Formats: sequence, structure tokens, C-alpha cells
Amino acid sequence: MKYLYIIPFLLFFGITVFGQDKGDDKILPYPIYQHKLDNSLNVVTIPYDSPGLAAFYIVVRVGSRNEVEEGVTGFAHFFEHMMFRGTDKYPRDKYNDILKAVGAGANANTSLDRTIYHMTGNAEKLETMFEIEADRFMNLHYTEHDFKTEAGAVKGEYTKNYASPYEQISEELVNTAFDKHTYKHTTMGFFKDIVDMPNQFEYSKKFFERFYRPEYSTIIVVGDVKPDNVNKLAETYFGKWGKGNYDPQIPVEPEQKETRYTHLQNSSIPPYLSLNYKGPAFSDKTIDMPALDILSTILFSQNSELFKKLVIDEQKARYIGGGAEDSRDPYLISIETSLYKPEDMQYVKDEIVKAIENVKNNGVDKKILEDTKSYLKYSYAMRTVDPDVIANSVAHYVYLTGDPESLNRLYSMYGKITVDDIIKVAKKYFIPEHLTVATISPAAEGGIK
Amino acid sequence: MKSLILSLLIMATAFAQDIVELKLPKSNQIIIRLVFKNGSISDPVGKEGLTYTTAEMITEGGTGSLSYADIQDKIYPMAASYYSAVDKEISYFQFAVHQDWLDKFYPIMIGLITNPSFSDADFQRVIANQQNYVDQVIRASSDEEYSKKALEDFLFRDTRYQHMTAGKSESVKNITLEDVKKHYHDLFTKNNLTIGIAGNYSPEFLEKLKNDLSKLSDNIPVVPAPPVIEMPSGINVEIIAKDGAFGSAIFTGFPLSVTRADDDFAALMVANSYLGEHRKSYGRLYQQIRETRSMNYGDYSYIEWYNNGGGNMLPPSGVPRHSNYFAVWIRPVQIAKQLKQQYEELKDVNIGHAHFALRMALREVDKLVKDGMTEEDFEATRTFLRSYIKLYIKNPAEQLGYLLDSKFYGRKDYISELDKQLASLTADDVNKAIRKYWQTDNMDITIITDVSEAEPLAKSLKENLDSPMSYSNFVKAGLPEDVLKEDKETESFKLNVKTVKIIKSADTFK
Repeated sequence: MKYLYIIPFLLFFGITVFGQDKGDDKILPYPIYQHKLDNSLNVVTIPYDSPGLAAFYIVVRVGSRNEVEEGVTGFAHFFEHMMFRGTDKYPRDKYNDILKAVGAGANANTSLDRTIYHMTGNAEKLETMFEIEADRFMNLHYTEHDFKTEAGAVKGEYTKNYASPYEQISEELVNTAFDKHTYKHTTMGFFKDIVDMPNQFEYSKKFFERFYRPEYSTIIVVGDVKPDNVNKLAETYFGKWGKGNYDPQIPVEPEQKETRYTHLQNSSIPPYLSLNYKGPAFSDKTIDMPALDILSTILFSQNSELFKKLVIDEQKARYIGGGAEDSRDPYLISIETSLYKPEDMQYVKDEIVKAIENVKNNGVDKKILEDTKSYLKYSYAMRTVDPDVIANSVAHYVYLTGDPESLNRLYSMYGKITVDDIIKVAKKYFIPEHLTVATISPAAEGGIK
Repeated sequence: MKSLILSLLIMATAFAQDIVELKLPKSNQIIIRLVFKNGSISDPVGKEGLTYTTAEMITEGGTGSLSYADIQDKIYPMAASYYSAVDKEISYFQFAVHQDWLDKFYPIMIGLITNPSFSDADFQRVIANQQNYVDQVIRASSDEEYSKKALEDFLFRDTRYQHMTAGKSESVKNITLEDVKKHYHDLFTKNNLTIGIAGNYSPEFLEKLKNDLSKLSDNIPVVPAPPVIEMPSGINVEIIAKDGAFGSAIFTGFPLSVTRADDDFAALMVANSYLGEHRKSYGRLYQQIRETRSMNYGDYSYIEWYNNGGGNMLPPSGVPRHSNYFAVWIRPVQIAKQLKQQYEELKDVNIGHAHFALRMALREVDKLVKDGMTEEDFEATRTFLRSYIKLYIKNPAEQLGYLLDSKFYGRKDYISELDKQLASLTADDVNKAIRKYWQTDNMDITIITDVSEAEPLAKSLKENLDSPMSYSNFVKAGLPEDVLKEDKETESFKLNVKTVKIIKSADTFK
């Protein structure tokens, strides 16, 4: 073993990625440059050593959360599709031709709180990226026929997804867990609304007017770029983008008063059980979310006591995992498990609840707490290996709070979480009255208490 | 019997350590990928899935001194990770660790590979999950993935390529822990290993790694040769009827005699990108079927296996193969049952969009074979690819993976060689390659669909009935004349269908 120790030894006592500068424990070891345009568009640049490569992201803080009106659920996602239908200057075909010439990997996706447009490719083509993106964000123009045609593709997407029973139960789960808040429907939307989408041409124009605005948007550029150049391009191409004035009133979810249940009868997949507690909205200023992240990693990761008991030793569960979803409004802390036998469902549920109760009463081991902090930090470092991944992770915090520095703040909060904090959030959030149980099994009913 | 070569066996040459290095002095992590030149192709008959079980037993089990749970505890603060992947001809193990933890992680890694514990409890867990995958997961979770695995089962029938890497319902039941131990000794040996390493490591570390890996079995493995399959005669369709399918998921293929090893591959890559670049809106198939007619979520074509196409946006490394095939992927299209329910004007349709979509796709291939690519389309596609292929290797793990795959094909650095090949191509080269390798008369097709759709679809295909496109009024109203005219031509486009079989979902992968 004599050879092995040379390099690690030096590193162990030398520098680590997290401790390079005393007092500066930022998880992202690269500076984040921010520049706000007069129209409120925020421009974020992170220079990163990826020769010739740049990731160009636009985050719009609109998702299914914003779909407050009856009959138009799924619209944020549908609109993401419409954004590829062209402008007067660059109709669809021409936009495609230019994108093809840029040689980029480009796409978009939508979820609860945001829509993200991204292209990663040749850094020398950054100006072209700015030009075509600014054009469609400011001047999108499509015909009613294009609109109706695209609705078919969205239905095709639903059709593809719906083949999975897990997709079916997750749709039922949110519909059961929420009464008033727009998180009641999935990002795809209610199927009846998807079928009706072709009738909503006029609404689609309103949607664009409302949300595709600089105050809802952030540009993130990561890679072989310079902040000055990025800012200049942003001024040139997005400087004239007009501000909007729409502020949706998102319904507040009333407090859940009793455990709820939803069940899917299906014998084609292994029995499935998920426990979903109402969680907090994301914040990097209170301990709630960081403490819950740590707690759920301790309770449900592959080295957790629960995993060892149920998956490895007893082999009652095929898999177990869980955590709190980051979201702008309170969403769900979900624990999912796939079982071998349906008759073990109650037992597995009881074991999960027992593990949670144990934390409420006894806290967690200090060493495990410290190991978990280490795990979270090193996980992040191991993931961030290309400009795309970095842009994506920064985009995550931009849509949650509007500020990319939230990423650094969250990880710095992780470092400060104590055993008491863990107990506090366990007691605050893991409450039976706030629980929704979703099950899949061959039986007609879930039969879980 | 489509297979020509079943008896040919390839024997690895005696021990000479193969190493692929990627030095990244600025990186703070080390990635090690150990590639064994044996995949599901070397599963014994009747025990298909054994290579997969063996690989899983290494990554889901313990080492001589540590249990699986002990290992999870130890690596937890490191956030180190490892996994195994098995394809038809290779299996690999990838380990990734931050350099801060390399010294602590290394003994675990070496223990897993050279001294796996192969405990009975781990075996019970691993085999139960594997059985579940072949019995249930593949049929129930994604009809698209199902259609791809079913096509390989069809196209490579009676060859060592036929079965899924995870095996078959009956064969997984036959696998024992003793089989795993023997397979590990016989096939995961130092004589068919290539070591890949990327990151900021020292020469001493590499030396140590090489030494430790030389403790692997010294057996000279015997691996069956990859099959060379005959071109199917005519178009042969297997419709897999499933309860409660929401659409028809389609995958087609015919054998292709070129791989990355051949210079023609680059030419075909341009043609394929133009026809159906994966998850891009530039391809003809996508534009015709999805964009213009909104029939589904996307339509693409392939000239080699593309792992997990539903999840990956870029082609992953680690699936090199000698037996290639050309494929068209049509994502789920509407079935009659759904169309009737959703649109009053379509209440009388008896058949959904599968037949029309298939005709549309094959007609596009046919046009390309007949007319070739224009100079302009060729230039645009080549320009795109020369930039786009660099994204395949945008992170160290994939860079290393592509280098390792290069070796499989007898190349040194496939991506940079490909770039040079693309640079010197002409439109004429591409059109010649299209004519040489592509056709639409002979292929196998699988369609996963609802039980209600299976019979009418089978009849329509078998009898080559016209399949007029049934648009909803929403879409129909605004369609331009040229699209409707093209639809008319497409609805009777003759497919050289020879056989159509309906198979119950429960009867697949037996």
C-alpha cells in the first residue's frame, strides 16, 4: 500500500475544496457574478474552465403553481412547447436552422414553480444564442393552427407518461393531498384540461403577456465566458424587453386535519407505498428546509437504519427513499417504498413511522449528523463536473428565491444544523394529520391504517 | 434461425493489462472504470441474466471483511459512488471518489472487485429484484422501453443477443449463487479487463491499482462471438397486446453491417442526424410526425444502440456492440379507444394512428434512400454534428467512457477521429452510404398497444389496408393543402408486410 498514500496524504492535510479560504465556505467554488438590467432582468455569469463550451439558461419563474384559473391547468408546460413555434423574424424552421448551426444541445422543461430553457454548446456562438433567445422571449408569434397542433404533442407526452402506474398514482396523490393550492394538479395538468387545450388560444396570448417578462426571468451563463461580455450581450439583446405587471394570487392551502388516502389497484408492478407529509416552503433563511434535508438523508438514504432493516436484512422492501421537495410554497415531504409483498404494507408503514417517532423522542447520533453534512457537501462537489450541471443547480435556487447565492447560503446552513434543530423539524412536520398515504397493490383498496 | 454464427467463440488473449488513461490535473476527483469484455452474450443457455446478476452481486454486496451495510456506512461521508452496467458485449464497474477520500475508499473498491463476499442474503435480494424487473418492471413502467427490448428479442431471436441483459422470466429462476461464483471466476478475469482511469492521480497510484487488479482470476475467458444476423425477409410485425395501454409505442429495426469501427459510419451518422437526431426537433421524422401533425411526443432514428433513450439526451458511453442495427423510434401514438373518447368527430374510427405513423416514417426513409440529402442539408447537418459530438464528452466520466469504447472499436479517440472524418465527408459520400445500407422493404417491427387496438391494427397491417389519418377537427381545420396531399399519398404507401403476430404481454421474454 505504500504507493497509494502519497497523494491523498498531502491532500488530507493540505487543502480541501471546501476550506480553501478561511471564512469563505461557499459550496460553489466559483464566483457568481450578477448584473441587473433596468428592466429587472437578472443576469448571472459563472466563469468555469470548460474550454470552448458554454451553458446558456433562462429561468422563468412560472410553473404549474401559477395556474390559478379553472380549466387551464398544464398551461405553463404547454406554453413551454409553444415557445418553440417561432417569431416573425425567425419562424420555426429558421429558428431550428440557427439552433442546428450553433450545434448545441437545447431543450426546455417545466415543473411546479418554473420553466427552464437551456442550450449548451459552442461558447463562440454565445451571441447567436442571445439573439435567438431574446427574439422569441420578446416577439413570440404563432398561428392558431400551430397552437392547436402543438396541443396534440402535449397529449402525446401525457400518453407516453401515463403508461407508468407511478405516474398515475402521483397524479392522484397531489389531487388528494391538496384542496385549494395549485399544487393540486401535476405540471402536466388535469387530463380534461389537456384535451381542451386547443380551445385556449386567446388565453395563451394572455399567458405570454403575463409571465414572459424580465421580472419573472433570470439568465444564467456558465462556462468559457466573461461576465463583461455576457452583460453586454444581455443589454444589447434583452435591454428593450418591457416589464409586465401581473402578480398571480396563489391560493393558500388550508391546514390538513386528518390523514388522507389514495389507492391504485394494479397488479402489474410490485406493491408501492408512499407517505407524504405537508412540508415547508423552501427558504435559505430558516432552519426548516436544511434540517429536513439532513433528517431525511439520515432516515431514508442507503445507509440509514431503516434501509438496512427493511431492504437489506428483512428484505421486506425492495427500495426506500425520501425527502422534502424544494418548492416556493409548502409542498410535500415524501417517503417512497416498493415492496415484495402487499401484505407487508402495514408493517413497512409502521416501521417508517417508528423511525420518525424515534427521532422526535431521541434525536439523532452526532456522528451521523456530521457524516451527513459531509455527505451533502461532497455529493454536490462530485456532481458539479460540467457547465451544464452547474447552470442547472444554480437555476434551481434562482427559481426558488430569485437569488443564485441561495445555493451557497443553503449549504452554509447545513453546516450549522444541530441535533435540536432536527428534533424540532421532526416534531413540526411529521404529523399524522398532515399525512397523505398513496398505495398501489393488486387489492381493490389500500387497506392501510 | 436467423443466426449464422452461434458456434464461433472468441478467446481472450493471455494477460496483458490494457489501460486507458485520462489525466486531468485540475480535477478534484478520480474516476475508475473497469471494463470486462463479456456481457450478456456470455450468459449460459438457460441461465440468461447471469452476467447481470454477477455484476450486481459485486456492487450490491460486501467484500471479504465488510458487509454491504458496512460499506454503505463507510462511504457515506465521502459521497463516493459506484455502479455496474452490463450490455450485450461488455460489463463495466465505475467508481467515483473525491480525492480527499481516495485513500479510504480505495481498499473498499479493490475489495469489491477482487474479493466480493457473494453472501447468500445479498444474493436473495439481488435476484429478487432482477426477477421482478424481467417479470413486471419492463412490461409495466414504460411502453417505449418495452418496445425496444421486445424488438431486440425479435430481431436477434435465437442468438446470444436476444435476451435482455437482466435475462428472461424463466432463466433468472435458474440462477444460483454457485453460478455467480463460477461466472465471476471464469469471466471477470484479468485477461479480459481494460482499466480506465480519469482525474488527478499519481503514477504510483496507477501502479498500485494495476498490481491489485492482477489478483483477479487468471482464467482465459471464452466468450461467444457476437451474432451476424440475416436481413429479415419482408416486414415482420409483432404486436404486443397489453391491458390498459394508453397508446401504441413503436420500434423498428434491421441489421446494419457497419459500426464505429468503419469509416462509413460517419457518413451514415450525418444521414441519421438529418432523418431523426435523438430528442432534437431538426430531424425529418420529428418534423413530419410530431411538429406538423402532432401525432405524438417525438420520432427519431438510430444507427447503433442508444441506451435509455427515454431518459438520456446525449448518447451514453458503455454500450459498444459489434452487431448493429438501424432503428426508428416512434413514441406512443393515439389508439382508437382514446380518439373516440376525446373527439366526437372521431367516434367511428376503428384504428388509431400507429399504421399511418409507421407509413409516414418509412416513407421518409424511403425518400431519403431515393433522393438523398441535398448539399445544403448535408452542410447544415455536418456543421451541427461537428459541434454537437463534443457534448458527448462534456464531463470526465463520459470522456473516459468514450475513450474506452474507442478501444473496443479499434480506435484510439473516437470523438476526435469522428470529427476529422466528418470534416472530410462530402454529400456524395453520405448519399452513397444511405443507398448502400438503408432500405424499407425488410425489417422487424414491435408495437406495444392496448388489447382493443391489437386486432384491427394487425388486420390493417397484414392486408395493407389504407390508413387515412384521423385528425381531430382542431388540427384538421388549419392544415395546409400540401400536408393533406402528402397524407393522402402516405395512407396507401405500400409496406412490404409479410407477417403480423399478436402476442400477449404475459408471453413476452419467456
